[in-house]
Amino acid sequence: MADAFLALFALDNMMLLFIGTALGIVVGAIPGLTASMLIALTLPLTFHMDPVSAVTLLIGEYVGGISGGLIMAILLRMPGTPSSIVTTFDGYPMAQKGLAERALALGIMASVVGGIVSWGFLAGMSPSLARFALQFGPWEYFTLVLMALVMLAVLSQGSMIKGLLGATLGMAFALPGIDSSIGQARLTFGSDALLSGFGLLPVLIGAFAISQILRDSATPQDISNMKLPSRHLPIYRRDLSYIPRLLRGSVIGTWIGLLPGIGGNIAALVSYSTEKQISREPEKFGTGYEPGVIAAESANNASIGGALIPLITMGIPGSVTEAILIGALTIHNLQPGPLLFHNAPEIAYGIIAAYLVANVLMLMLMWGLVRYIAQIVRLPRSGLMAVILVFCVTGSYAVNSSFVDVWVMIGFGVIGLGLEYCKVPLGPFVIGFVLSPIAEEQLRASLMMSDGNLAEILTRPYALLFLALAVITVAWPSIAKRLSDRKTTAKDTA
Amino acid sequence: MDDKARQTIADLALAGLTLAGAVILFIGAVSLPPPRFEPLGSAALPRILGGLLVVFALIVAVGAIMRHRSSDPIVQEDKTGPKADPKRGALVFVALIAYVFALDVLSVPFLVATPLFVIAMGMAIIGISWRGLISFAVLGLVLAIFISTVLERLLYIRIG
Repeated sequence: MADAFLALFALDNMMLLFIGTALGIVVGAIPGLTASMLIALTLPLTFHMDPVSAVTLLIGEYVGGISGGLIMAILLRMPGTPSSIVTTFDGYPMAQKGLAERALALGIMASVVGGIVSWGFLAGMSPSLARFALQFGPWEYFTLVLMALVMLAVLSQGSMIKGLLGATLGMAFALPGIDSSIGQARLTFGSDALLSGFGLLPVLIGAFAISQILRDSATPQDISNMKLPSRHLPIYRRDLSYIPRLLRGSVIGTWIGLLPGIGGNIAALVSYSTEKQISREPEKFGTGYEPGVIAAESANNASIGGALIPLITMGIPGSVTEAILIGALTIHNLQPGPLLFHNAPEIAYGIIAAYLVANVLMLMLMWGLVRYIAQIVRLPRSGLMAVILVFCVTGSYAVNSSFVDVWVMIGFGVIGLGLEYCKVPLGPFVIGFVLSPIAEEQLRASLMMSDGNLAEILTRPYALLFLALAVITVAWPSIAKRLSDRKTTAKDTA
Repeated sequence: MDDKARQTIADLALAGLTLAGAVILFIGAVSLPPPRFEPLGSAALPRILGGLLVVFALIVAVGAIMRHRSSDPIVQEDKTGPKADPKRGALVFVALIAYVFALDVLSVPFLVATPLFVIAMGMAIIGISWRGLISFAVLGLVLAIFISTVLERLLYIRIG
């Protein structure tokens, strides 16, 4: 770990972390632009970097992107990122009462505490969890990937069937190309361009950036009711009484972040509801109450640290952003998972170190520059969108110096837009695309080891546990509905 | 057309396209060799995914038809924000296609195509004005020079 910090404190890596965090805050502050989009767009640039620098830049963008969302959530009731939706509940009413600076100060402090607490879990749990995951064989990995995919599809917003449909479609799009097990072309239909399959980057940039820009360009933005912060950010000695709330939100956020498919927005919502339930003044929540901002912001930032734990210990992405981070590691020939600590400890510990320092940098940047960052939303969006689209085109082209990738990117932009129109969540689609090759490879390896005997899974307790969790996740909504109907009927009868 | 009819049509279109995708997977799987060195084989996953897609597509289609026939209203989306103008989105999309076509097929130099694309996009979003035209032209030119310098001098990649 000490070596990782030493490598991180090299001038070039610190510069990249600073740039990444600053860019993340700016992008997170602009409603409509997300950390996932920024990371997908930056990925082509990291090709030519060494892996530590690449990961450092991307982690900075991730932390900054989630934290920056609170600025517009408080000032404009327009969450910069989905994770900041709950921050609007009390942050915006505080701003309306003339307390924007106080809400921003509390939000920033809570974000940093959430980040640091979840870093403690990340640094403390990851190496031992990775050692534990080393016992896993192909059956365990296959069922783990299956469980993560199912949880993500079921728990994403909207219909469960559409979530599962999105994940299956994503997996199907990963099929064309050379089948690595037998070295034969699959589903290419005679096209040479499809021999290498659909590239990860064009798919990610298309599905997130292009579809979002096409959608946003059709929607004008109204910023007439924004009140910019005018004074310094106030913080008082009495704020020490918020420590238990900060810790509670951070722990809730970390543990929710651990579960695949449950992002920062759910973490913030659970933390907010918990705080409201145990509060002596629950009626004050939603009216501009300081603990509301603290609960939401500590949890959404802590969820990043939680989500990084399964990413680096088992190679399982908890959300789209982690799926893109997996893509970044894969580009550098690194396989996230338990062996990462053994094969590339500088990367595994580098992620952990970068996450902590990015939180500190985020505090400095947000505290000093929030007033100026808030002005960014006043920039003409048409120019910003044009710049992003040019970066999308050049970024996709730069991967293989081929326009085929650019057309693929546009195609996936249209697919992403179509899926969103039909209310199919994009998260399961992209994660299905990323995890499909891993799932197939592990399933084929499992069946080879067991001579095609599927019953072998019954002898693997962890694989059975993961499979059971996947089945329960799918069945739970209807079980819960039946239980609730039965309770209502019993009440009516009584 | 009301929201309910629009959602039904969207769901039916989704189901239709998903079924088409499943058919492509089944057709592609037919030409793949049977398993030789391992039990599963190359065609298994396309067949499994194709089967799942058929099931999900049928559920979505049946759900859409049943919802359309029922008298229950659908959950309304929050429509308090500014109204979307799909024409602008379509114009931006056309500009993007034209830009990539110019770079790829017509081999228009990057330094020429990019400012023209930025101008076209700006005009598509904010409307036509002399002030906008000049500012977007300057933005496009600066952007094109910056990106081509980074690509050619630092990454040794030539575009357009």
